[in-house]
Amino acid sequence: MPTSSPTPSSLTPDAPVPDGGAAADTAARVRYLDEVMAEIDAEVRRRRASGDLPAGLEAELDELFLEFSPVGLQGRARLRETLSLVDGSAYVDIAVPTASNKAVGSYVKRLIRKGLGWYMNFVVAQIVKFAWSVSRMFHVVVDHIEDLEAAVETHRSPDLPADTVPVAGPGPAWWAAAAVEALRDVHDRVLVADCGDGALLDTLAAAGVDAYGVDPSDLVLEPALARGLDVRAEGIVAHLDVVAAEALGGVVLTGSLQWLRPNERERLLDLAASRLAVGGTLVLHSTTPEGWAASVTPVVRDLAPGRPLHAETWAHLLGSHGFAVAQPVRGGADHTLAHVGADASDAATVNAAIDALNDLLLGPTEYLVVATRER
Amino acid sequence: MKLAFVTPRYGTEVIGGAETAARMLAERLCLRPEWEVVVLTSCALDHLTWENSEPAGTTVLNGVTVRRFPTASRRTLDYFELDGKLRVAPQAASLADARQWIALNGPMCPGLVDAVAGSDADVIACYPYLFATTVDAIAVAGAPVVLHPAAHDEPALYLSAFRRSFRDIDGLVYHTRAERDLMEDVFHVGARPQIVLGLGVNEPAGGGRPGGAVLGIGDRPYLCYLGRVDEHKGCGMLADYFAEYKERHPGDLALAFVGPVSAKAPDHPDIVVTGTVSEADKWDILAGAQVMVTPSAYESFSLVVLEAWTLGVPVLVNGACAATMEHCTRSGGGLWFDSYRSFEATVDRLTGDAGLRDALGEAGRSYTARNYSWPAIIDRYTAFLADVVARGRSAPLRTVRLEVPTGGTAYVREGGGND
Repeated sequence: MPTSSPTPSSLTPDAPVPDGGAAADTAARVRYLDEVMAEIDAEVRRRRASGDLPAGLEAELDELFLEFSPVGLQGRARLRETLSLVDGSAYVDIAVPTASNKAVGSYVKRLIRKGLGWYMNFVVAQIVKFAWSVSRMFHVVVDHIEDLEAAVETHRSPDLPADTVPVAGPGPAWWAAAAVEALRDVHDRVLVADCGDGALLDTLAAAGVDAYGVDPSDLVLEPALARGLDVRAEGIVAHLDVVAAEALGGVVLTGSLQWLRPNERERLLDLAASRLAVGGTLVLHSTTPEGWAASVTPVVRDLAPGRPLHAETWAHLLGSHGFAVAQPVRGGADHTLAHVGADASDAATVNAAIDALNDLLLGPTEYLVVATRER
Repeated sequence: MKLAFVTPRYGTEVIGGAETAARMLAERLCLRPEWEVVVLTSCALDHLTWENSEPAGTTVLNGVTVRRFPTASRRTLDYFELDGKLRVAPQAASLADARQWIALNGPMCPGLVDAVAGSDADVIACYPYLFATTVDAIAVAGAPVVLHPAAHDEPALYLSAFRRSFRDIDGLVYHTRAERDLMEDVFHVGARPQIVLGLGVNEPAGGGRPGGAVLGIGDRPYLCYLGRVDEHKGCGMLADYFAEYKERHPGDLALAFVGPVSAKAPDHPDIVVTGTVSEADKWDILAGAQVMVTPSAYESFSLVVLEAWTLGVPVLVNGACAATMEHCTRSGGGLWFDSYRSFEATVDRLTGDAGLRDALGEAGRSYTARNYSWPAIIDRYTAFLADVVARGRSAPLRTVRLEVPTGGTAYVREGGGND
């Protein structure tokens, strides 16, 4: 029985947008709902354990529910229940109903049923045999799937505490102008990942670029929704998965890019390459590993599922996925130390050390990579 | 700005959710002076026969200009034969078979399609995805096309002809996020301009009578179901679950089925079946209910859930229904069941805890007011349409028009023959 609400992305209305108070109110109500459903779930388990309802009757009543449930998307989470429907349908009854609203009709139908019985029996026996073979095959498949699911679960990273997960900051960023410049001439739509409050979408629209955005956080999207922007509460990988091949003129990747696991990163690059039209532009903004390590708490640093990459690594990965990559541009927070004056003692040695420190630790902590899909 | 709605049938007599939604939207939109609305539809009101029951030509219905065109043929028994063949593995159906299925599903309205091709509207809105009128309109439209899919997870959704047709649309309007997720999953239309709009809810218009008096059950507490009483809507399951519940929990609690009965009416001493009732009686019954139950797993929006919430009545929904589950989990205004056991425990909890009912009802009321008032809905819709118009018609692949099926035995509704 599902007792928890879906992921936070679906907990707040798409639009019109509630103010902050309404959003907090909604979150509180949803938490209350979760608590109530958890209590009901516990009560269901208690009653089931008590055995107060004959097992056969309970199964019959549950079968009734499944009979009128979709087996498509909902069925994914209930393989065993769906399989039981297959099992139940594998038998073909040859006793055709003979009722009719015409008196002679019933007689004729009975006659036909009797006359064709030997024939139908022969055919149906083979159909039933086939159906049971298919059903057995499904049981094997489901066993394998459940084994795989158990294996995948052992590789799952722990969730970060909710309050330590950073969200996209509001307002324009240092790299917005460069991103707009790179995307100004694309013909198809541009997708902005982790679009936050939609500031970059506004800037792109002002430059005549047809752009839309996705962001995993509903709450962060609220200002964009209020301005009527085309934004959806989705993660970038999940969204690209439902975009047609070569449907996009440009993609802007930022934000959660730094959190991706290696397999997710690979999937993202595959999807971005296939969803961009040939000649399309990919703009990638991220933080350097050093800048990231200095800006997050130890808990986040230790538990984060993935780590940011250096600009050079992204350039390498993009190149291997069919992109031509321009020279990365660096920017963002800059804590570089100034050189000491030439008249200071050992100035040359000290300034060389400062240069080394700046390069390694204190220089610009972000970068922008612009790439073009070539093949 | 001029908008042309294309819908297979239209009228106050049409009960279907998608068609009713189209009419509600058209009627509200035409109140905006800057918008001109015309509805292009068939002369049929019955979606099973497509019999031309209304006169062809132009009429005005509740302020909306309606142009009706005759259907070229009635539905034939060939449809059911092909449907039975394709629904087992719709993805594997050939493009030709899939197009034939759409043509047989109908309604085939050549005059309507010609009118779309020659329309001077700035934007065409097709509603819902399933019918030949939509596929043909997308194929011939010169103006940008917006599709209101009203999609369910059903076999027809996976036919390749729809996938090909939907490459040529310029925008999508969804009832719920669940519907968007489904459409994106099946058709990969994630990059298309889209909006999750929903529908507005009317103000309650009760007559002031106690619901129990309308139902003839006095002051007994009751649950209510609102809508077509139909097996596919889960009504049979609800009746069976309720009967079992009463067997195990004797008491005053009653269940009311309120709406037209298209299947055998449930027969139980604690179940009241009203048939079709007046709008005032509907609101009165709803207002007096402890809980409104929607057992259907196949809702694309479920306006009745929002109507219950405008009165502060909590809802109990089918846990397998993505649309009603989305309303409940986003609002905190209702609970759900996915087995007899959870139905029993949830009904126990809801009927025995007035505080919980009030809290859920209030959460639902707040959610509905915030998201589904008509002015807000129309503001968002017009802004979206203006945006689609500004983008213009995409370069369509231009599938060819469907061919009108010929021959075949006309389908006649049960009771009228075909036995």
